[in-house]
Amino acid sequence: MYNKLIVNVLFLLLPILSIAQDCTFRLNGQVLDSGTGLPLEFVNLQLTETLAGTTTDSTGHFEFQDLCHGDYHLVLSHIGCQSQKIFVHLHSDTSLSLTLDHTVNDLHYIEVTGKSATSSTLRLETISEQDITDNAHENLSNMLESIVGVSTLKNGSGISKPVVHGLYGNRLTILNNGIAQSGQQWGNDHSPEIDPLVANKIKVIKGTSALEYVGGNLGSIVMIEPKKIIREPHLHGRVGYFFESNGLGNGLNVQMQKYAPSVAWKINGTLKKSGDKKTPNYFLNNTGSQEANFALQLEKSFNDHFSYDLYASTFNTELGVLRGSHISNTTNLEEALSRDVPFYTEETFSYQIDAPKQKVNHHLLKLHSKYFLDEEQWIDITLAGQLNDRKEFDIRRGGRTDTPALSLLQTSIFAELKYQRELELWKIKSGIQYNNTNNSNTPGTGILPLVPDYLSNEIGTFFILSRVRNKSLFDIGLRYNFILQDVATISRTLPREIIRYENIFHNVNSSLGYTYTFSKNQALTANVGFGMRNPAINELYSSGLHQGVSSIEEGDVNLKTEEAIKGILEYKSKLSSKISFEALFFYQRINDYIFLNPQDEIRLTIRGAFPVFKYEQTNAEIYGLDFASRIAFSKSLFTDLKYSFIRGNDLSNSLPLVNIPANNLSANLVYQLDKTININNKQLENFEFEINGQYVFEQANLLPEQDFVAVPNAYTLLGMKLSSDLQLKRVRLRLIAKVDNLLNTTYRDYLNRQRYFADDLGINASFTINVKF
Amino acid sequence: MNLKSLIAVLIIVILSLNSCKKDDPIIEEPVELITTLTYTLTSSDGGSVVVLSFQDLDGDGGNAPVITDGVLNANTTYTGVLMLSNEQASPAEDITEEISEEDEEHQFFFQSTVAGLNISYTDQDSDGNPLGLTTALTTTDAGSGTINIVLRHEPAKSADGVSGGDITNAGGETDIEVTFNVDVQ
Repeated sequence: MYNKLIVNVLFLLLPILSIAQDCTFRLNGQVLDSGTGLPLEFVNLQLTETLAGTTTDSTGHFEFQDLCHGDYHLVLSHIGCQSQKIFVHLHSDTSLSLTLDHTVNDLHYIEVTGKSATSSTLRLETISEQDITDNAHENLSNMLESIVGVSTLKNGSGISKPVVHGLYGNRLTILNNGIAQSGQQWGNDHSPEIDPLVANKIKVIKGTSALEYVGGNLGSIVMIEPKKIIREPHLHGRVGYFFESNGLGNGLNVQMQKYAPSVAWKINGTLKKSGDKKTPNYFLNNTGSQEANFALQLEKSFNDHFSYDLYASTFNTELGVLRGSHISNTTNLEEALSRDVPFYTEETFSYQIDAPKQKVNHHLLKLHSKYFLDEEQWIDITLAGQLNDRKEFDIRRGGRTDTPALSLLQTSIFAELKYQRELELWKIKSGIQYNNTNNSNTPGTGILPLVPDYLSNEIGTFFILSRVRNKSLFDIGLRYNFILQDVATISRTLPREIIRYENIFHNVNSSLGYTYTFSKNQALTANVGFGMRNPAINELYSSGLHQGVSSIEEGDVNLKTEEAIKGILEYKSKLSSKISFEALFFYQRINDYIFLNPQDEIRLTIRGAFPVFKYEQTNAEIYGLDFASRIAFSKSLFTDLKYSFIRGNDLSNSLPLVNIPANNLSANLVYQLDKTININNKQLENFEFEINGQYVFEQANLLPEQDFVAVPNAYTLLGMKLSSDLQLKRVRLRLIAKVDNLLNTTYRDYLNRQRYFADDLGINASFTINVKF
Repeated sequence: MNLKSLIAVLIIVILSLNSCKKDDPIIEEPVELITTLTYTLTSSDGGSVVVLSFQDLDGDGGNAPVITDGVLNANTTYTGVLMLSNEQASPAEDITEEISEEDEEHQFFFQSTVAGLNISYTDQDSDGNPLGLTTALTTTDAGSGTINIVLRHEPAKSADGVSGGDITNAGGETDIEVTFNVDVQ
């Protein structure tokens, strides 16, 4: 799972000379390492049409002979790289100059892709397509965890949301294909409704200067990006299937694409189902889930200046919540906390999903067009609509369990006009955006809603300028957002009446970044950003019992806008051909940080007494260090070491902040075989074996009175992974076998709310097969 | 379609959506709400009736609930009858009925800190397990303390001690948990 090298193939077609006769053509070329510029040996090349195969020699050269006139697909593969297919229309002897972005000593998460790397000081980290498909059984947040500095806030294994540098939910923007995900992000038990398998790339921007995107972000951004359709006139695709032992999960993912002359298209569909998960000692009753997702991508170019693309996706999920974690008052909570095995634990496994559960549907439609004014200037126009339908079911009396206890429908419309100009040294990006969000409680729940109905209109504009000068890159950006909200709340006192609020917010964001490249192997980046985030609807108006945490939560209509300053300093260095590392320090100060503060009041209701939490503001700081390094012992053996340290403090009250990830350390040892293994005339390529370990520290920065129970102990998890590629006649297989929590360790994680009731997951063996055609 | 017409379409789309007023939401009738619990104790000699009650008309939040405590006679046996209702609905909704219809899914638990005060089940659900809508309360010596009444939804009725009225292994969701102060004289 750590061979996250980005394959970057740039190829140049150089027709040398033309011969009129058929079947005498030659196809040759050289493969270079884009990182070092040196020839790459042992690159496997195969023409899928003839099955002819060859390997590059020590100078990186290869040759195919006696080829006929026609269309060919050339598959390149090399250990540690994602295999790459290139289309060649052969009508003469042809020489290809190919580069693979592959260096054993490079850190996989450092994306250095020519132009884009030098055009921004954004701190970007990427998960590649291969890592996404290799980990098809994981959800989006769990995939992101492989990036240092990213954690997940969970409610059991099925429900999780990403935490980047300690921020999540309302404070973290998630972009699905460039569109800010619109849903009920405020809920700690609401996962982002995105299928990671549609994406060819997932990026995390840790910096502050991502000002071109909408969202109340104070820094980090998660981007899920489907790749453009490959310019290839034939039908190609991928079929992936996975099985995992814990929860007996199964999943199927199909992707097909074709660059047809009329319109280029790509479809992607995913089906997943899993049952009750298991800790080392017992089943977690009602923790099954199922998912059905589909996405369609269309692209059409009218001429060199004008192109259109359309993206439509639908995400549908049903998620069970651990039955024994559904508690209704503090007495219940105390009982549940004192148990070794949760209430309702069953002896047997089941796929059944009953209440408590969540049913979520999310649909997205995006239309984008690009218009080139001239070679260096262009305009992007984007229109997008989203529909998010969330239903949560609780155990209820009188046969009402099938009636949702929470039913929220959110629609949003987004329009954007963006202008970009790229000169040799200067780059300008500017735009204007409009966003409309309409949030409604669907009537019929028989429960007063936790968050009110509202309508939000938002207009934003931004300007980003960057300049390259010798070894320096400098960028500056400014953003302004105007937000108008109309909120219709329902009074908590009798007689019930509708109380309306109209809010206006002005948010300003700005950033300043500087990168200095000492040499090809050393770079320093500094980035400072200022951001504002207006209080979210739930922070202002939520009112009532939060069943999941058995507490009464109350919003405060007088909350002010949060203001934050974040600074990042990053140093990347390749000390030698064998050792490279990167270290990123960040410090963020947030004034008027909004958080849930426990009150002295205990409120008496007919269901017993409940603690009261109110949204309040304080001044807070979050700081930390992300460290990653790679040490290569030999050509085929290397280790990755990662460490992330983070701390959050409430400065006004001299208290630690809650829900800050515990520090953690991870390491792996990877062995890659750069020669192929012959079995029955079939060649196993890219054989790789990995052992990995993770040590999560105890969250020491928390006072006992800040939690219901003592924080979980530190824990260590071990895992292993075996993967290999196999080229068959028409298709290419990739096989992955993985074991997580190899020693079946019993543990609980601080950021998993299920820790109050049950242990975390035990051993899980998974097998994935991917067929590319 | 050229750039100008595209921008025109964009502007039209935005203008057509520029409503700034959210429609009035429908005010949900809280269907599962229990506002009132009364525990009516009638002495076996028919001499006295004591009513313990908990009433929270506006539900969670808002005004604090009104609790009526009681005085019991020493060395007396009482017949206890629980009544639950939602007085926010008009006319008031009888929740007791709903509980007896789903009797296998519910059980009341009674605990008292008064020495010698004992409450036992006198009813059963359709599976022959205790329910607790009717009870027998006996007092011995004088004293004072509390009576705690809990209604659990989907408890594990077969778990150890649960049929004897011990809540420890019951689990389930708490639908009601109220405490009354009582004096035994």
